[in-house]
Amino acid sequence: MMALAEIKHFVYEASLIILAVMLMLCLLRAVLGPRVADRIVAVNMMGTMVMVMIAILALMMGESYLIDVCLIYAMVSFLAVIVITKVYMGVYRERRSREKEERNG
Amino acid sequence: MSRKKTEQEYRKTFAFRFFRWLNAEEDRYLDKVEMHPQEPYVETEEDIRRRQREKNALLNKLYGRKKSKSVRYLELFYKGACIVFCGILIYLLLLTVSYLPPIGVADRPVNNEVSRRYIEEGLDETGAVNIVSGMILDYRAFDTLGESHVLFVATVTVLILLRADHKKKERSSAGEEMAYSLEEAEINDRNYEPKNDAILQMAACILVPIIIIFGIYVILNGHLGPGGGFSGGAIIGAGLILYLNAFGFQKTQRFFTEKTYKWVSFGSLSFYCIAKSYSFYTGANHLENIIPKGTPGAILSSGLILPLNIAVGLVVACTMYAFYVMFRKGGF
Amino acid sequence: MAEWVCFIVGTLFLLTGLVIFAIELYGAYRYDYVLNRMHMAAFGDTFGIGVSLLGLMIINGFHFSTLKMALIIIFLWCASPVSSHLIARLEAATNENLETHMEVEKK
Repeated sequence: MMALAEIKHFVYEASLIILAVMLMLCLLRAVLGPRVADRIVAVNMMGTMVMVMIAILALMMGESYLIDVCLIYAMVSFLAVIVITKVYMGVYRERRSREKEERNG
Repeated sequence: MSRKKTEQEYRKTFAFRFFRWLNAEEDRYLDKVEMHPQEPYVETEEDIRRRQREKNALLNKLYGRKKSKSVRYLELFYKGACIVFCGILIYLLLLTVSYLPPIGVADRPVNNEVSRRYIEEGLDETGAVNIVSGMILDYRAFDTLGESHVLFVATVTVLILLRADHKKKERSSAGEEMAYSLEEAEINDRNYEPKNDAILQMAACILVPIIIIFGIYVILNGHLGPGGGFSGGAIIGAGLILYLNAFGFQKTQRFFTEKTYKWVSFGSLSFYCIAKSYSFYTGANHLENIIPKGTPGAILSSGLILPLNIAVGLVVACTMYAFYVMFRKGGF
Repeated sequence: MAEWVCFIVGTLFLLTGLVIFAIELYGAYRYDYVLNRMHMAAFGDTFGIGVSLLGLMIINGFHFSTLKMALIIIFLWCASPVSSHLIARLEAATNENLETHMEVEKK
């Protein structure tokens, strides 16, 4: 029977590697998606996986302040979605109104 | 001395003529020069086309746009010379880097006794468990003062560049002017958000207090764990941005106007200045005896580090919010 | 002994969380319209991270950082549905050929 610490270390490392591979596949989805909303959804998914990775790292290294970083990451990704949707809707409306003007005038 | 002159008398004095000349109000040629009646100048299409043709011919001759042989060779040579120059620059820089000492050699200036002393005696001299906070806010407090000023100057620059003046001179009174410009800015801004979103407002009601309290927690625990003024201030700024996105500009201006920003930044920076520059005038004798260091590990410890963290945090929060508002609307 | 039990239970939860993330990723590739993919993304955002962080909390024991992880879960459960709502609104407002994917009610 190996010591508890070694098994723990092994489990943490395995889950980190699996999560890293899934992160890369999410990035591929962000590149492929044909619409803007596709990319925003993929980046949100990536943020969630990164949060789990940071929490695992915090347990692995024994430094408990990394959980604060996790919380800030959640907040920042939420804020990013809000601001990007706002800005993109404004850009889209401007483009539409300009095209309408060009068509009429 | 206090007798006022009449209009006729004033026109004969020297002062009247001097000021009229100074402001260029008089027309010297009126009634003095013979002029023929003029016709208005009408620009025909022929004129415009002729002007275009002449301009193109002149530019072609001047800049050799038809690409004579020498110009073509010059362009090729320019591209080659650029690549060669960049290559030489990269080689020189890498050569300089290779002269750096290898990591870990014992007798280099990097591994002298300075860092050891900071690590060993940092806790005793500053009282802060987090040595990095002790470094940036106690041993090297002037650098952090400069950094906070850099943040302030950056915001002022962005204000100068991006601030939109919505003054409408056709409005009648000053009160109407301000109200119209604010409403107009709000209407322009509402293009980005078609209506007030009830779901977002409900979520913001719950989440903004959590975020701001978390930011305050990070600031206050700057000397006990990682964090401090800069990160805590950024978190509070993010909370304010979330509030603004959910509720709009009218509601945010109930508590955060331009005056708030000015006074908070000015107050924090002045407090920082005064708290750390007194040693210029007291002959480098510090206030160590008055402000106690306390026990390491408690919140109220390590002397001046806690108030300075709060000051830096406030400046950073205001800066974050000001940047977002400037880029979005052009005004507070 | 208690430590072993805690560790095994926590690892089970963590592995379940990883399986849920894998299902979420597979779903993101299988569906063909963004509003369908968003179902899977929300699924991972709330359920996946809840179960994973619960497992990590059990491994950690009773500590201050355990409460912080609980705060993360609560924050994400409040914030993630709002993100989905905003992205759906963006998609509905900017897509011109919405009728090819679903029925649209004209008001």
